[in-house]
Amino acid sequence: MNSGSDGSELLVVRDLFLHFSTRRGIVRAVDGISFSVRKGETLAIVGESGSGKSSTALGIIRILPRNVARFTGSIVFDGMELMRMSEEEFRTKVRVGGISMVFQGAMNSLNPVLRVGFQVAESLIVNLRVPKEEALRRAEEMLELVGLDRSVAQRYPHELSGGMKQRALIAMALVTNPKLVILDEPTSALDVMTQANIMNLLKRLKRELGLTYIFITHDLALASELADRVAVMYGGRIAELGPADEVYPRPRHPYTKLLIESVPFLRYDKPPTFIPGTPPDLIDPPSGCRFHPRCPYFMKGKCDVAEPPMFRADGDHWASCWLLEERRDA
Amino acid sequence: MPEGPLIRTEDLRVYFPVRKLFRTIGHVRAVDGVSLVVNRNETVALVGESGSGKTTFGRALLGLVRPTSGRILFDGTDIASMGEKELRLIRRRMGIVFQDPYASLNPTFTVYRIVEEPLVVNKIGTKEERREMVMKALEEVKLTPPEFFASKYPHMLSGGQRQRVAIARAIITRPAFVVADEPVSMLDASIRVEILLLFREIQKRHGVSFLYITHDLATAKYFSDRIAIMYAGKVVEEGPTRAVLSEPLHPYTQALIEAIPDPDPMNRFKMREVVPGQPPSLLNPPSGCRFHPRCPYFMKGKCEVAEPPLYDLGDGRKVACYLMEERAGNP
Repeated sequence: MNSGSDGSELLVVRDLFLHFSTRRGIVRAVDGISFSVRKGETLAIVGESGSGKSSTALGIIRILPRNVARFTGSIVFDGMELMRMSEEEFRTKVRVGGISMVFQGAMNSLNPVLRVGFQVAESLIVNLRVPKEEALRRAEEMLELVGLDRSVAQRYPHELSGGMKQRALIAMALVTNPKLVILDEPTSALDVMTQANIMNLLKRLKRELGLTYIFITHDLALASELADRVAVMYGGRIAELGPADEVYPRPRHPYTKLLIESVPFLRYDKPPTFIPGTPPDLIDPPSGCRFHPRCPYFMKGKCDVAEPPMFRADGDHWASCWLLEERRDA
Repeated sequence: MPEGPLIRTEDLRVYFPVRKLFRTIGHVRAVDGVSLVVNRNETVALVGESGSGKTTFGRALLGLVRPTSGRILFDGTDIASMGEKELRLIRRRMGIVFQDPYASLNPTFTVYRIVEEPLVVNKIGTKEERREMVMKALEEVKLTPPEFFASKYPHMLSGGQRQRVAIARAIITRPAFVVADEPVSMLDASIRVEILLLFREIQKRHGVSFLYITHDLATAKYFSDRIAIMYAGKVVEEGPTRAVLSEPLHPYTQALIEAIPDPDPMNRFKMREVVPGQPPSLLNPPSGCRFHPRCPYFMKGKCEVAEPPLYDLGDGRKVACYLMEERAGNP
């Protein structure tokens, strides 16, 4: 059913916690999440700012700031437990040819004094000891693959438009032949037409190379451009997880439902609504279900007392909401 | 009620000189001949990509950048040629809400001082009167209880709350016209609509006219009465919002709509049709229609030769495209 997926799990995350210590207290950015990504599929992680979606990615590729207070759980990638890996092992087995990441707003992270071709080839030269000539040739092939002219290799970043830079960064992520590519808001700083071009490119690369993506975004509409499955995060937890074909038309968590209703549709008329209240403070999150203070279905004595587990809605569709428990008992 | 539209621009141009050493080597034509009307009690969405000139146009209306030529009639008075002193009096009747609520509020001021400031600058009211006005403005943007928020500093507030503070500051002088420049694009999806509804509410209560500057056609659809699409310094299409979005007539408007996804899991099986190329340089824009190098309907010998006029198609719809020549009845 999922395009290009053979069903085997490439990444399995279990009970992942990632907390940061700040002057105000412990920020529970990722607070006990479990999910998996199958070979060849795209899992979109959708959430608003502070939902923990980007922290989840940083945990997976182990790019952590110094103020980590807790980093526990299990991350199994391609059969290897990453949490027990040494830094050196992680670098050779995961960073190169394992998991690549395209960062948010990374267009501005290109080195202005180095030619684009060298920056794309750098990982091959430094990490894989590929001879420079060959690495540069590979870089040119990659640039061509992402829809740029080979001559772009000789140019400097300031000579490229935002969309071209983003393509170069995708080439950089793909040059090591990764098994999993994490895309963190890859189009957030781009104009709508450039965004559409980049999404087309990502779709084509997925089809042609059988890539596996984790696509992190705050934008439900954009997520639907790539997602085979969707994980909706709220307050450091996964609220809902299921096939895109299920989650979009039949959301089971009240947060997902309200989030979809807050999207203004362009192609048909449906006045958007909003979710009253503010997202939770991750230093002192609400008890029980983290969405309960904003939830229209709030059940006193239940939702504010105990945290709902993930209930199976049907098939592969899960939601962390007590409403589903009642339904199951009925 | 006074007659006529609140704002009317006539062939407004804003050029920025590009200097090399001591010589001017050219001009960035940010706004290049825009005639637009904002009626009383109306929200006009000005939509375009970055570099289309929409922000510069909004600033020109407020007198924050001076136009190179053309007229800006505010309530019948031309403010384009007005002196700074006179302009200051007019500006009291205008407000602006910026995109970034993290950058547009002074971090060392309390919410009270931020919202009070326009009153102080314009020497409006006594201290006590001002206090009452600030509290009322905070209530109006639903920062309640106002006493609680008045003593806070911006860093203690969420993005949505900060934008409410910015709105309170914009409306405290009871302006007739407010420019909202991408006011929700930095906010989370679940609270965007709440802020946009707040603008609507304020409009209803006080009869304010809004220019809603945005790149987001989808929010423009639900929160504006009329829409103007800008491309490379020019308005290429304008009309009642619903009519324009359900039947876009300019090829650029059509391309823009095609590029924007709605949430739909079928999207992943489709490629989006995107017009080739990039928006042009405003230093040296293409001849004729500025969209012609990217246009799928390009007519050689016509589109690149002369600039298409803004054809009036009736029902408030105007389109600057030769394809509309017949429909407009050969003016």
